Formats: sequence, C-alpha cells, structure tokens
Amino acid sequence: MAVLEMKRIQLCALKNERKKILEFLQRRGAVEIHAAEEPEALFSKTDTASARQAFEKNAQTAEEAVAVLDKLVPPEKGLPKVLAGRTPIRLSDYEETAKNAVKLAKTASQILALDKKISDDQAEIIRLNTQLDALVPWMNLDVSMRTLGTRSTSVFIGSFPEALTKEELGTRLAGALPEVSSIEIEILSTQPQQTCVFLVCYGKYGMQVENALRAMGFTYPPTPVRLPPCERAEEIKKQIEALRSEIEEAKKEIGSYRELREQLLFTSDYYTMRADKYRVLGELWQSPRVFFISGYIPAEDCAALEQALETQYRAFVEIETPGEDEEIPVKLKNGFFSSAVEGVVEGYSLPGKHEVDPSFIMSFFYYILFGMMLSDAAYGILMVLGCGLVLWKFKNIEQGLKKTMTMFLFCGISTTFWGVLFGGYFGDAPAVIAKTFFHSDFTVPPLWFAPLDEPMRLLMFSFLLGVIHLFTGLGVQFYQLAKRGKIADAIYDVIFWYFLVGGLLMLLVSTDMFRDMAGLTFTLPPIVGALSAVFAGIGAVGIVLTAGRESKNPGKRFLKGLYGLYGVSSYLSDILSYSRLLALGLATGVIATVFNQLGSMLGGGVVGAIFFTLVFIIGHVLNLAINLLGAYVHTNRLQYVEFFGKFYEGNGRKFTPFTANTKHFKITEEK
Amino acid sequence: MKFDWNTMGIFFALMGAILATFMGGIGSAIGVSMTGRAAAGVVTEDPSKFGKVLILQLLPGTQGIYGLLIGFVTLTQIGVMGGSSDISLVKGLLYLAACLPMAIVGWVSALQQAKAAVSSISLVAKKPDQFGKAMIFPAMVETYAVFALLISILAIFGLAGLPV
Repeated sequence: MAVLEMKRIQLCALKNERKKILEFLQRRGAVEIHAAEEPEALFSKTDTASARQAFEKNAQTAEEAVAVLDKLVPPEKGLPKVLAGRTPIRLSDYEETAKNAVKLAKTASQILALDKKISDDQAEIIRLNTQLDALVPWMNLDVSMRTLGTRSTSVFIGSFPEALTKEELGTRLAGALPEVSSIEIEILSTQPQQTCVFLVCYGKYGMQVENALRAMGFTYPPTPVRLPPCERAEEIKKQIEALRSEIEEAKKEIGSYRELREQLLFTSDYYTMRADKYRVLGELWQSPRVFFISGYIPAEDCAALEQALETQYRAFVEIETPGEDEEIPVKLKNGFFSSAVEGVVEGYSLPGKHEVDPSFIMSFFYYILFGMMLSDAAYGILMVLGCGLVLWKFKNIEQGLKKTMTMFLFCGISTTFWGVLFGGYFGDAPAVIAKTFFHSDFTVPPLWFAPLDEPMRLLMFSFLLGVIHLFTGLGVQFYQLAKRGKIADAIYDVIFWYFLVGGLLMLLVSTDMFRDMAGLTFTLPPIVGALSAVFAGIGAVGIVLTAGRESKNPGKRFLKGLYGLYGVSSYLSDILSYSRLLALGLATGVIATVFNQLGSMLGGGVVGAIFFTLVFIIGHVLNLAINLLGAYVHTNRLQYVEFFGKFYEGNGRKFTPFTANTKHFKITEEK
Repeated sequence: MKFDWNTMGIFFALMGAILATFMGGIGSAIGVSMTGRAAAGVVTEDPSKFGKVLILQLLPGTQGIYGLLIGFVTLTQIGVMGGSSDISLVKGLLYLAACLPMAIVGWVSALQQAKAAVSSISLVAKKPDQFGKAMIFPAMVETYAVFALLISILAIFGLAGLPV
C-alpha cells in the first residue's frame, strides 16, 4: 500500500559518453526525464526533430514491410500476441543485430517498392482488360479501325445505338438516300444496345452518306486503334502476360525476404527506440562538452542506478528530495494480492498529492463485492481455472494483462466462496440434473442460506457490507487528514459523520418496525436506542456547527452547516446503492435456473441428455459472460462512486520512465 | 361457460410477467442497437478499441435481463411453470402491479442508459485511457433499474405469503 517515494535525479556527464549513458538509462527504464526549467546561459538544446522523424519513418517502413510479407506468406499461427508477449532478446544479440539495422531498413524499403510495383501492375492489368473488352465488338474487322477509305471509296466504321440487321440498315439507307447506289454494308456485331458496322461507298457520296448516317444515330468508335482489332487484342494479351509474370517475379522476390521477418520486426523496434532516444536528447541541456539530465526516479532505484552510472561511466549523479510545489509523478507499489487492482485505481485516477494509495484496502472489498455479485461456485472455479491457466502457461505476458488476470483470479476465488455460501453451482444445476436424469431429490444445500428463499436477509447483509465499506472509506479520509496534521478537520469531517450516520442506523435497527421488516430476530435493549439518538444528535450538531467553518459570516456559516447536514441524504442513497449486490447476485442465479429448466424440458433419456448438454453449455457461457460484465462494471461503480467519494480525488500524474517502448522484443540485461 | 371476473387472476399475473420481460427487452434491444452502431463506428477507425467499446455497448443490455428475471420469478410464483395456479383476482392484479416498476423503469432506463453509453463510446474513441470513467456514466443510470428490480423482486416474494 504505497505510493513510491520519488527523488529528483541530476546527472552530469561528458558528451562523448552521451550515447552510452542514454542507452543505459533507456534499458533500465527507471528515470522519467524532466528537463530543468532555467539552465545557465552556457547550455542550449539541440533540435532533434528531423532525425527523430527519419527514425520513426524507418520504423514505420519496417512495420509495413512485415505486413507485406505476412500478406504474401502468412506467418505460422502461433499464440496470440497478447498472450505470448514480447520475445526476450539478450543485450549482446541486440547490439549484434543493431549493426544490420541500416541495411535492413533498405531491405524494408525494397519490399515496399516491390509491393507498390505489384499493385501498380495489377491496376495496369485491369486497365488493359477494360481495353480488351472494348475491342470485342470489333473483332470481325480485319482492317485498322482508323481506315477512312481509299482514293475512290469512303469507309465508315462505327456503331448505331440499337440492334439492326443488314436488311434493316440497307432499307433505311435506301430510304434516306435514294440517289446513292451501291453502299456495301457489313455488320460486325449486334448487341441489344449496339450494332457495329463497316460501310463502303463511292468517295463522291461520302459527305451525303455521312450526314444520313449521323441522322440515324451513327457514331464513330470512341477509341479507334491503329491496328486491326484482333491484332491489337493479341498485343494487349501479350502485355497482360508480361505484367503477370512481372508480378509473379516480384512476389517471388518478396518471398525470398521471408527469412528476414524477425529481423525486420527488430529493425522496427530498433528505430522506435532510437526515435525515443532522440526525443529525450532534444530535451537535454547541453554545453559544447557536457550534457545534463534531470528527472524523477523512485527512491528504491536510486542507489543501484547511481552506483552503476558512476562506476561504468564518467558521470556525476546527484539525488535530491523534490520540493513541495513540484508536480511529482506517481508510481504505485503493492504486493501480489493488491497490485492486481492497480489497474482499476488507475482507471479512476492515480493518487494526487497527500493522498494514500487506495489499492490495498480496495482490493479486499473489490474481491468480496465482485464475488457476491457473481456468487456461483462453478462460475468461480471456471474463472480461477481460466485465469490460472493463462498465468501459468504464459509467463511472458505484459504486466498490465498479468495484473488483470490476477485480479480476476482472486475475484474467481471469492465468487467460489460466495457460491458455496449461497448454494449456487451453475444455478440449481445439481438438483435439476438429479431430478431429470436420476429421479432423485438430491440437492446441494447452501452453506449459509439461499438468497432466492430469503431475499430480505441478503438485502440487509448487503446494506451492512455497504456501511462497512463506506465507513472504511471515511476512515481512510481520517487517516489522510490526520497524517497532514489536520486533526480538527479529521474530527469535523469524519468523526461527526460516524456519530451521525452510525447513530441513525443503530436507532433504525432498534425500532420494532424495522426489525419486523428486515426479519431480525434479536432485540436490542432500549438503552441502545437512547444512546444512538444521543450520538446522532452530537454528530448532527457538530456538523451544523463545523461544516461551514470556511465562512467568516456567522449567518452564512450556519446556513452552510445546515446544508452540510443535508449531506446525510447522500449516505442514504450510498447505502441503498449496495442493494445491487442482492439484485445482481439473484440475476446470476435466476438466469442460470432458467437455462437449467429450459434444458430439462425434454426430460431424461439420451435425447434429453443431448439437448440438456447443448442448452447447458450455450446458456451458461452466455450467463457467465453477461454477469461477469455486470459484476465488473458494478463493482467498479461501488468503488469509484461510493467508496472513493468518501476520501479520494486522484489527479496524480503517472510515472512514465524513459524506457524501450518496443513492440516485438524485450531487451534483457546480461546477468 | 359464463365469463367470470374472479377467474381472471392468473391472466393479470401473467400479464405482469410478460410486461416486465416485454418492456425491459424492448428497451434493451433499442439501447444495445444504439450503442452498437456507435461502437461499430469507433471500430471502423480503430479496431484495437473493440474490447472497450463492446463493454460499453452491452451496458444497456442488463434491463432486458432484469425483465427476464422478474418474468421468470413471477411465472414460478404463480404456478405457470408447474404447481397450482389458483390465483385470486386481487392477487393477480397485485402481481401485475409488482411487475410494473421493472417494466417501466427498465424500459426507460435502458433507453436513457444507451444515450449515456453512446456518449461514453465517443469519449473512449477520443481518450481510450479514460475508459474507467467512461464506464461509470452509463452505470449511474443503471442504478435506477437495479432499484426497480429490487422493489419488484421484494414485492413478488412478499405477495406469496399474502392471504388474499
């Protein structure tokens, strides 16, 4: 349960070791670089933007090249990337491979160029095919489409926008031009919307014939080719063939780089890292011979880093405590049990100044509340098995995912626990199976009680848990205030509320009406009721007097105090909010029951058993998925709104160390 | 056979069960469709956000489940799923009334929750790191569906013992 203590680190070294020191810091990933505000006049910053962009572009090229390779030669289906994690690579191997990075970047560009050639060629093939299609109606023509005639004849090659036979065309022409004789007509092709024709007439009638043809809707072909169409078609086909073989060759060439896939991924990582390094480099203050790094480092890493830097390199390191007004980055550190919920805390906000890390306290409640909402032993065991398997099999998974898996593992354990208490095993599956297939009245009795039989009891228990949860939150607020020496504030803002809310609740419990409603069996001595009333009164008076303590004006202060007292209504809604524990718990059980009943509709026997198994599997997978989501969302809500509302604001800035943000490989230090 | 109002108890009780399932289901169906369309839009831009927007899409789906739950509990209580189904008119009407909180609040809250969820989806599209907060906004709306569910359940279970 801790926000790690941060130190400010100042490092000063000679420029000739700059590269080595930066690389060392990047591998260590322990320092967040934070440039000092006002350097001395001697120092200046270097502009590294263009170099950085070049590196980022190289990384991008390598990624794209791998994508091209994968498209052509799909990589072997291995583990999903999220589970397998980044491949570890030793520092010496890294340095060995890094020597080839420039060459590999060139290879990557080469692959991309080939890929571009392939897509260009494919576009060209499509274009040629379109041309080929356009030629088809003219294939019967054995002269050039541009033929206009000989010395004594005129030739018309073109089309009409309708289907015409030779006779129809002849009749129409004869009708339009009775004085012109001997027009030779050849129909090249006929389609419903187009008739392609070849006409020859004496040269002297040329103009007349053309005018008549135009009046009939004759048009010349849009793209007449010089060669006779069939020859042109042959030519195009040859071109397409050539392009196809070019594509094949390019593909083969890309395929020959398949062996380099890993190295290309490495190149991408290498350039990403260099780009990062140059970003940092651009933030450093440098003089002609010396450079200067400042930043934040967790106190626990200080000694090791300082020693390593001062022995391995000629560097001067100074560690100091950051000032009060600095915006210090936040890093959380918790044990195995609580670190799992750090992601949930981060999802809200990291602890701000003077705030404690809520992970530890929250983790207990998180697991308990989650378990109550899902509350089915079989589902819990499935969760434990699933998460346990992932954690056990895939040791290399990324930290974030590992934490989430661990969280659900613990949630699963809690779910199992509550499931056993409430007697839920796939809902009422044991009883249904026993009755349908074995005709026995076997049931697994709940260890505590069945919520469906006594919903009121579970509701009361949910409220009780809620009150504990809220009071714990208030307690943390007390601790936070007291730690900063604000004892008076702690009493006003926490103790009075304990008195008021606690007193009111006890008063409620001591009334007969409430006991009847909640079905409580015990009775409290009357003195408890009276005492609770006194406590509630002290609390109420205290709140009215102190809630407005920031105002100087007594009237205003009193009114603000009254408004503060009105805050008790928010406690009412907060406590009622915990009724979702009952509602969601019942939802899991009832929906499971619905599916079990559905499954048992066909009764016993082989057919019944097959049907039951099918309904059982589909139904419970669905139910588990829906209720996992519900439990997750509502547990988060109870933590964020009800619990954090009592003491936590967040607004901390996350500690983001200068590290190797690689995608594919993880460089490990040599041991 | 002459029509007798006193035999209509079971009808009204069944009506309650059906209304709860019906209206919760309709609300959730419309809600999940609204959020689904928004989520699909986000995934077009960035497929890696699928997991996050899927969770947000499903949030307005719970009212349908609560409706189903109330419907089922009512069916078992009034004996439609086996057992005696001798329900007086008054009791039938009481069951109908007990189902109404879930039916009406479920329907309306699913639609309203869907609107909040759509906004949260666009929040996640722009700032994926704010997912935790984005999830809470629609979950706040659901509180009221949970309350309605609770009252409906308590009423239905409470009715079983009433001597009417």
